[in-house]
Amino acid sequence: MRTMSVRSGVGLALLLFQVAMIVHARFVPSRYFCWALYDVQTEYSLRVEINRRELSAQEILARYHRPQHGNDNRSPQHVIDILQGYEETYGKNDHAAVEMRYRVNGKQEQIWRWPQQ
Amino acid sequence: MAAAISHPENLAKPSWNPLRCAGTALPANLLVMAKTIAIALLLTNHVKLLPRPFLPFLPWLDRIPGIVFQDTLRVAFLVSAVALLFNRSVRLSSFLLGMTMLAGVVASKAYYGNNKTFTGLILVLTGLYEPKRGPWLLRLQLVVVYFGAGLNKVLDPDWRTGVFFSNWAVNRLHQAAYLYLASFVPSVLLAQIMSWFTIVTELSLSGIFLVRRLFPLGIWLSILLHSGMVFFTGSTFTMFFYAMTASMLVFISWPESPLTVIYDGDCGFCTRTKQWFERFDLDGLFHWRTYASEAGIASGIFAHDAAQRVYLIDGARIYAGFRAFRMLVLYNPISYLLVYALVASEGRDGSKLREVTIGLLLLVFSPLFTPIGEAMYRWIARNRYRLSAQPTCRVD
Repeated sequence: MRTMSVRSGVGLALLLFQVAMIVHARFVPSRYFCWALYDVQTEYSLRVEINRRELSAQEILARYHRPQHGNDNRSPQHVIDILQGYEETYGKNDHAAVEMRYRVNGKQEQIWRWPQQ
Repeated sequence: MAAAISHPENLAKPSWNPLRCAGTALPANLLVMAKTIAIALLLTNHVKLLPRPFLPFLPWLDRIPGIVFQDTLRVAFLVSAVALLFNRSVRLSSFLLGMTMLAGVVASKAYYGNNKTFTGLILVLTGLYEPKRGPWLLRLQLVVVYFGAGLNKVLDPDWRTGVFFSNWAVNRLHQAAYLYLASFVPSVLLAQIMSWFTIVTELSLSGIFLVRRLFPLGIWLSILLHSGMVFFTGSTFTMFFYAMTASMLVFISWPESPLTVIYDGDCGFCTRTKQWFERFDLDGLFHWRTYASEAGIASGIFAHDAAQRVYLIDGARIYAGFRAFRMLVLYNPISYLLVYALVASEGRDGSKLREVTIGLLLLVFSPLFTPIGEAMYRWIARNRYRLSAQPTCRVD
């Protein structure tokens, strides 16, 4: 019987992980590691306030590594994950108020806010 | 019997010459693939994009000082890319180069992207290549990518109804050809046709790449799909175009022993052509023989045939005339390295030079061009003695 080498085992594990993520993506709004290539056009705009002062476009880019107004070629959840992830970790003590207005594939505008109601 | 040149079981000492691809622990086609990706990474200055940890998928990566993490990635990236180009520990170099990209992907949600993940995985899986098992991991990687891509689209109502495509082409890209076509065909219908064409192509490719005899069809479909995307959007999607088209080399059976080329040794033009090709055949893949040497007889090529046109003997396959010259180019690593260097050096999106280069290559190497190529070859072959400067050429 042929035994699997470590190299093949590692490679196969990488492939199986991707298959698992393709299945996982069916149950969640995000699309990480599942080859959702250019599946969604998310047009968004950000407004961020800290201590009632509105952040500039440069400050938003430096804070989230995302432009204030942008087009993402993937699920809006990926932008939301960055905003929410930042406010729950690095920016926890800033008590920022974030508003993201976005359209998915040119459809009706939606709004996501932090802190969530 | 011809000596094996590129099979990993018959390793010669790897050359320091980056244009050579034989004699390493990787088969020539996989090394060419890894090198073209490395060239594209270097020429597009990807090293500058490598991130510090930022909202990592693996939270413990945040504990590493950002500058240490980023600088380590950059040094490993550059060293492994250069080592790969100079044929040093090619499997390890490919693995490390891929790992730097995957490390960047898992360390930063801002850096995360399908194109970087795919490029990293292709390089890592190349590093995991085992001679006795062949490139099955790499082939399965392509199957998984196309399956995932097709499945995500077919299950998305915006793709099925054409909403995504219409918004993308009209509002986002302002795509001129699409807008022109939409003036003849109902916009919704056109968007649905484009959407379903993409879905069917991606899902078909995931099946095609499981069947060996369908590999040539898959290679063409994939290259046309990704080149079409470059023409449609003007973008290579960072590394995606380079990595995806280069990865088609995993479906190629690269010759493991030298191929015989039969040519007319009495013709000065043919001899100069032979010398020109030999100068660029750095791996010594082609052994040129005059038809008078009778080297082609074992393959059923007799003097009368060989006096008319050049022949390339690739095992049981025999290519003649224009097709032979096309294979001389396709089996030469330099062709790929130069083309990717040219295309990747046009870094900005919307480069016309890049689109023209890709378009011309697709045209010349497509089966549709073969009759034109053959006609051109016949004209040159008929006039080869006139083209020769040698007065001693024999006239048949």
